[in-house]
Amino acid sequence: MAITKLAFIVRSLPYKTEASRLALTHAIASQTVEIYLEDGDNVEPVLCFIGDGVLNCLKSQQAGKYYGITSLEQHVKNSLLLDLKVMICKEDVDRFGIKEDHLVMDAEDIGGDTKAQLVPYSEIQKVMEEVNHLQFF
Amino acid sequence: MKLGVFMSDFRGGSDVLDRLSAEKLGIILVGNGIYHATTKENGKSSPLLNKSANFYVLSEDLESRGFSPADVDSRVKPVTYSDVVDLIFNDYEKIIWI
Repeated sequence: MAITKLAFIVRSLPYKTEASRLALTHAIASQTVEIYLEDGDNVEPVLCFIGDGVLNCLKSQQAGKYYGITSLEQHVKNSLLLDLKVMICKEDVDRFGIKEDHLVMDAEDIGGDTKAQLVPYSEIQKVMEEVNHLQFF
Repeated sequence: MKLGVFMSDFRGGSDVLDRLSAEKLGIILVGNGIYHATTKENGKSSPLLNKSANFYVLSEDLESRGFSPADVDSRVKPVTYSDVVDLIFNDYEKIIWI
């Protein structure tokens, strides 16, 4: 039995490129890989937002209305709904002067129990050291 | 020259903008350029806004990213797509995108 740990680190801004969206969809998709693995094997994804990437986590994104696409806010909520571990770098949130209530910290409105964590960068660094595979977006 | 500049990046392009001069300069913040209008880092507004220019920000891109006109720096005017069309046809002779 082996658990493969994956970290998806989002440092890109939303929408202009697909980078941050790919990180979230890959992280969500990794939850379905279990069906291809041997019994007892599994993957454990962690989604971390650092630098400009924290701006993906802002509430009230209206990408559906203007671009006709799902918002990154919705993807973050979907990640929480699927119980992915979501970490947001506190230093970067503070640097932008963003208040916690302006961030997507839970997915209660769609039935999710898991909450995002606002953590110091040192904790994200620790995650990066612990995982088997590290991917930057 | 009356020059309109579309700025769609947050981290790049400022070096080019710094060298541009025009009798009338308009900077239209679109896409990820909107963060220049809304975001302060360590309490400081984007240095781009110190440039002598008329600043505009596209409301649709602003709201797509979770901001509202109330979040916009007072030096920047929120505009709609149709306002941008008017700017292109009425206010600026040349338009570039960086």
